[in-house]
Amino acid sequence: MRLFRELARRKLRTTLTILGITIGIWALVVFSSMANKINALVEGGSQYFAGKVLVTDASNIAVGAGIAPMNIEVAETIAGLPGAAAAVPQVQLIYDPEGGGGFGVSETLLGSVAGSDEGHESFEISAVQGRLLTPEDEGSRVVVFGSDLATKEGVAVGDSIDIRDETFEVVGVLEPTLTAPDATALIPLSAAQELMAASLPAPVQEAISPDELISQVVAYPAEGTSESELATQIEDAVDNVNTLTGAEFDEQVGSATAIFNAIIIGVAVISLVVGGLSVINTMAMSVAERTREIGIKRAIGGTRGRIIRELVIEAGVIGLIGGLFGLALGALVVVLGNEAGRSSGTILFELTPGTAVFAVAFSTILGMVAGIIPAWSAARLDPVQALRYE
Amino acid sequence: MSVTAPTLLEARNLRKTYRLSRRNQVEALRGVDLDIGSGEMIAIMGPSGSGKSTLMHILGLLHSPDQNGGPSPELRIAGVEVGGLSDRQRTKMRADTMGFVFQSYNLVPTLTALENVALAGEYAGVARGEARSAAMDALGWVGLAERSGHRPMELSGGEQQRVALARALVNEPRLLLADEPTGNLDSARSKEVLEMLRRFNKERGQTLVLVTHDPEVGETCDRIIHMRDGLCERSEALRSTS
Repeated sequence: MRLFRELARRKLRTTLTILGITIGIWALVVFSSMANKINALVEGGSQYFAGKVLVTDASNIAVGAGIAPMNIEVAETIAGLPGAAAAVPQVQLIYDPEGGGGFGVSETLLGSVAGSDEGHESFEISAVQGRLLTPEDEGSRVVVFGSDLATKEGVAVGDSIDIRDETFEVVGVLEPTLTAPDATALIPLSAAQELMAASLPAPVQEAISPDELISQVVAYPAEGTSESELATQIEDAVDNVNTLTGAEFDEQVGSATAIFNAIIIGVAVISLVVGGLSVINTMAMSVAERTREIGIKRAIGGTRGRIIRELVIEAGVIGLIGGLFGLALGALVVVLGNEAGRSSGTILFELTPGTAVFAVAFSTILGMVAGIIPAWSAARLDPVQALRYE
Repeated sequence: MSVTAPTLLEARNLRKTYRLSRRNQVEALRGVDLDIGSGEMIAIMGPSGSGKSTLMHILGLLHSPDQNGGPSPELRIAGVEVGGLSDRQRTKMRADTMGFVFQSYNLVPTLTALENVALAGEYAGVARGEARSAAMDALGWVGLAERSGHRPMELSGGEQQRVALARALVNEPRLLLADEPTGNLDSARSKEVLEMLRRFNKERGQTLVLVTHDPEVGETCDRIIHMRDGLCERSEALRSTS
């Protein structure tokens, strides 16, 4: 209580210092949450792509953005390769062709025959509501939504929803995965093939039957074959395709993430250095103002250690308060930002308990460290000189 | 006639020179010898610049005497040679053995009367709760128990000095050092504080050393030490300590 009276005595300066730290910690929280989200996406993507080879038509602008049509025969060819354990033909479509692209992971519609991976898929998904797709769903119009997409569309199991002008029944909603499946709607392959066919130009539609249409193949390497060996086999056996292995995904995305993280850390460090200097300034002013008081305390038996402790704790409390406010503001931005972004599928932030605890602990320690120098010089004052100070 | 009680404080060869600039230095003390018996009430008197305050600061372990320029200084308080003590040990000794009263009260403005007094207890190593109840008792001794929740700004000068007195007394120190304790008070308040000091000296046997300009204050003491030009000019016994 005494301590708070000390702080309240210099309302303006204390408030400004706390504000400075608040802004620093706010920036730290917001940027860290952004980094958390991106890292989770990358991490999730890395897991998602691990242990398989994604095969798309070479005419696509990027591997993995497979929306150019391929013939389902490609999947059969790949399945027949010695290095392949299974090859799953899939149709991937943009969920809403009229909508804008989302952040990180775009909303997609993914059609494949449930269970056609023959147990080789290592990325596990489970339903938080309803059920997953089954092979028996082929031929029917059912859909399982990823968690973010379900929230955005506001759907629950049992609802009907129009996707690309066709009506689907929602049979399940997935657990959040923090990566691609969250923004994906899973439908039976046959339904996806029909939707894809409908999106093609008329001459193409006539040339190819919907049940031959796919946009990508996910190939799983056989025991003893590496992903890259399988990718080489596929590129040798099938003309005009691109392959993406888990390792290539990590390489592509990893360097971009590292740069982004460096920027984030840079911004946070700058804001915290400013906050730290501000605490040093406040404490130095506060010590100068209290010279006489420190003299009194030394005279009546306050040891140097005790004086230092009092001032360092005071600075620590300034840091703690700033940290808590910064965390609160940061959390507010994260929640509001995600809430606002949900409708467009843009989930920017992920505030983890670790980040929250780190931010508050960091600002407290920052305050204390910044308080040490003025506290030290205060404790070195000659008590008699200090007592004469007006 | 002079000192009959056992010695509490023994000082020899106390010198202090303050260097104000390269050329300008002030010899504040030029070799003071002093013995103070346990339970004595002593006034240190003398004109401005005679070295009274410097002597108080050295006796109160706030400054150290000069080591150079003459025979080695000695200062024993309560049987302890303080010359060799570390800053920490000197601070501890201030907290445990001494109580200070200043001319300008020197209370911590943000703390209440009770907290100001309790702080001295805490510095002496008493637990917070105990320090508070001891502080309440000490405020009772100076008749300010009902003002314990007030801050210095809300108290009169006389009241502030009584709070300072309670702070000096709370650890029941053997030595009370008072630097012009009545200097800022009118004669009625002055008398009040002086009577309290006298009472604690008599009832508790606390040794009291006070610096003053005021001859009336000096006359209430057992002995007056007259200082001039950094030396103890003479010691004038007014009454013997029993």
